[in-house]
Amino acid sequence: MDHTARKLPVLLLFLVTALVLVYGVLYPNLAVVTTSFQRSGQWTLANYRDVLAQRVVLEAILTSIGLSVFTVALCAFVGVPLAFLFERYDFPGRRLFGALAALPLVLPPLVGTVAFIFLCGESGILARTVQHLLGLETSPWTLRGWPALLLFHTYTMYPFFYVLTGAGLRRVDASLAEAARSLGASRVAVARRVLLPQLTPALIAAALLTFMTSMASFSAPLLFGGNVRVLTLEIFTARQRGDMTIAVTETVILATISLAALVFFQRYEGTRKFVAAALKGATRRREPIKSGGVRVMATLSAIVFSVILVLPVATLILVSFAGDGSWTTQTIPSQYTLGNFRRLFSEPQSYEVFLNSLLMSAIAAVGALAWSFCVVTLLMRRVRSRVLGPGVRRILSLLILIPWALPGTVVAVSIAEAYGQPGSLLGSFVLVGTFWILPVIYFLRFMPLVVRALQASMEQLDPSLDEAARSLGARVWQRFARVTLPLVWPGAVAGTLLAFVIALGEYVASVLVFVPANRPISIAIASELRDFNLGAAAAYGVVLIGIIAISMIVAGKLERWRA
Amino acid sequence: MRPRYFLAVLFFLLTSVFFSCRSGSVNSRRLLIYTPHGQDLLRDFVARYKQKYPGAEVQFLDMGSREVLERVRVERNRPQADLWWGAAHTTFQTAADENLLEEFRPSWADKVPEGSYDKQSRWYGTYETPQVIAYNSDAVSAADAPRDWDDVLDPKWRDKVLIRNPNPSDTMRAIFGAMVWRFQKDTGSTDQGYEWLRKLDANVHEYTADGTLLMQKLGRREGLITLWDMPDVRLFKEQKNLPVAYNLPSSGTPVITDGIAIVKGSANQEEAKRFYEFVTTPESLSYAAQKYYRIPVRTDLDRSTLPAWMNEPFTRMPLDWDLLRKQGSDWLRYWDTSIRGRSSKQ
Repeated sequence: MDHTARKLPVLLLFLVTALVLVYGVLYPNLAVVTTSFQRSGQWTLANYRDVLAQRVVLEAILTSIGLSVFTVALCAFVGVPLAFLFERYDFPGRRLFGALAALPLVLPPLVGTVAFIFLCGESGILARTVQHLLGLETSPWTLRGWPALLLFHTYTMYPFFYVLTGAGLRRVDASLAEAARSLGASRVAVARRVLLPQLTPALIAAALLTFMTSMASFSAPLLFGGNVRVLTLEIFTARQRGDMTIAVTETVILATISLAALVFFQRYEGTRKFVAAALKGATRRREPIKSGGVRVMATLSAIVFSVILVLPVATLILVSFAGDGSWTTQTIPSQYTLGNFRRLFSEPQSYEVFLNSLLMSAIAAVGALAWSFCVVTLLMRRVRSRVLGPGVRRILSLLILIPWALPGTVVAVSIAEAYGQPGSLLGSFVLVGTFWILPVIYFLRFMPLVVRALQASMEQLDPSLDEAARSLGARVWQRFARVTLPLVWPGAVAGTLLAFVIALGEYVASVLVFVPANRPISIAIASELRDFNLGAAAAYGVVLIGIIAISMIVAGKLERWRA
Repeated sequence: MRPRYFLAVLFFLLTSVFFSCRSGSVNSRRLLIYTPHGQDLLRDFVARYKQKYPGAEVQFLDMGSREVLERVRVERNRPQADLWWGAAHTTFQTAADENLLEEFRPSWADKVPEGSYDKQSRWYGTYETPQVIAYNSDAVSAADAPRDWDDVLDPKWRDKVLIRNPNPSDTMRAIFGAMVWRFQKDTGSTDQGYEWLRKLDANVHEYTADGTLLMQKLGRREGLITLWDMPDVRLFKEQKNLPVAYNLPSSGTPVITDGIAIVKGSANQEEAKRFYEFVTTPESLSYAAQKYYRIPVRTDLDRSTLPAWMNEPFTRMPLDWDLLRKQGSDWLRYWDTSIRGRSSKQ
């Protein structure tokens, strides 16, 4: 094949990738980094000295890391056994749970925390029930501090482990385990030497996502952190006080910790790959559980978990029908009304809000999908080249994850600062005040999810398939459309869906840059909350969850469409 | 070949979306207002404005007043909003100092009291909000409720006091600042003020993230006492049916002035000025007073058009707002690092 013809597509891919990274990640964040190293125009480390000399900041850094480590451990503790139970065995109730498992992941944070407060809070349904049952004077617990944070984090982030371990288990080559068993290895030895290495990439990816999400977690510490000081809250407080330099310096510290974790985890991720083996072997079939007692236990646990998963959403639905002020010391609201929904559907503004969010999230998600194909194709190229060595690839994957590692506020402010006025570098390219600023920010914040999902699917791909197609004379486009795309399609759709759904409920970045033309759902919910229209806020949340459910069904159909 | 069609359709969709959205969003000649006053009040006033001036196009974005400040800062090179309606005067003064506000002298400029406007006319006061001690009226009788600031420190309220996180709240910043300042003005030292906050911390059950949660938790008896602003407590009692009531502190209370300002360099200044004047006419002010519990700042109004409770006398706490604004941040930072959650609760 002609040499230049092979180089051109790669060059194009590189250009697209680089453009987005330079303009979307490097340029806006460069200002953040330089500010943290400057004081009155001079280059200095003084900001870091000042920040790190404060006891509270050190405390916040350690608390953030500790909280994230505990969150990872707890999520693994919940998610991995569940994945084993529901991927390996068949019993009544398994499908129901499978359908619900990812629910916490797509529950918008603003809605999720509110539902959580109504359900588990000090005066929530659970606490009031226990209080009334036991005849207590005061509430049996408070929803504050470490236990509350860990509970909420585990609830919202365990799906990373559940979903990724489940996917990993489906890829595990059962014949390897059988071979080991027939050679006399014990069950424990098989688990440790055969199963664990194959699952490692999935576990590492899950741990990394959980760690970073927990580090950047803001709503939960703000609402029920009590006196627990985490770094995101310190940044928020510094901004509120007007200490912008300190806020920026703390942000850089936060991002550095997250990225250090990434580097740390990547060392393990790369060393153990079982790509080829996994493709050639057979996957293990689900074993039906026959033994009566175990079957009952498994079914029971499926039911219990399903109930736990659904409770916050059920609470939200309940609140959406509650009348104002009808719920003070009672266990559940005493009056019900359709008024909240009537109000929502009678106002043209609410339709607009839903349309805006749907449109912007779709643009961001589809853009992220298209761009991810460029990035991943580039990252996965097996041809050794001078320009694209392993070092460059590692830097690329690092840059891609930066927006995910940063708190949403920081992403919004840095983009707004960088694209707030016509500049020499950018010409008249201004985003502030336009419809486009939100899709761009959604794209930047959530494209790491799509890239990761696609990368995982691509890694599974047997490179010999592509080589075979090439040797048969297929062109680049043909190989992509006929070989690669069908095989990675399910993973790509899953990642895009996740980005789409999370973008639908985005709040912290949106509030700083939205305009009348793109007012999203989350802002409408926040407005209702500020006006103490809790029922109306819940009604918005219920409709939003309905939309998310519909998109997941559509995505399920899309996934099968290519297969 | 199906994927190629798929991509072509996708491309077409994206470009059409791009062009359809581009028109209208940029450089529109509509009046844009940033405001924390809430959707109900804004929709109402926009509708009344359009009735008077048919053809006027008005849009508003509702968010917290600190978020407005942050946005106006970010957008300083390309201002989006024309009018900023609603925030404590301390926030407006900060914005004025950062050169974010335009000078404008409304027709009623000489009808507001001293201290309720910027000397350089960059903002003027519209409403005033006295701070009060609020309590759950189902759980606490009017006779038992604290009557003055120091009563809140009584050990009988241990673990019963709810306080809104003061960092993002102008109301709470003012109250905390006033508590430090009232000792500092005599002794020159912040020690006694900090001691007061430390004792308060010992009684605090929870620092809530926002005002809505504060009122919700008070209504649901997670705590029984709080410090908050008078119009809000009244609104929650009468319009949201929450069992809450308040006492005006007998030794005097800080009164925050809520203001209005035109954003520097904005596109529709004439329209902004017209709206500015419209919402501050005596009719508009007494309408807002009747329907939305906003106490007007203007001194030339017929007080009989206002709800009776607005005419009840109370003691004002004289405050040095400039000092509070400049040093308040340091005090708050000290509170945040050395007082909050650190007092012994034995």
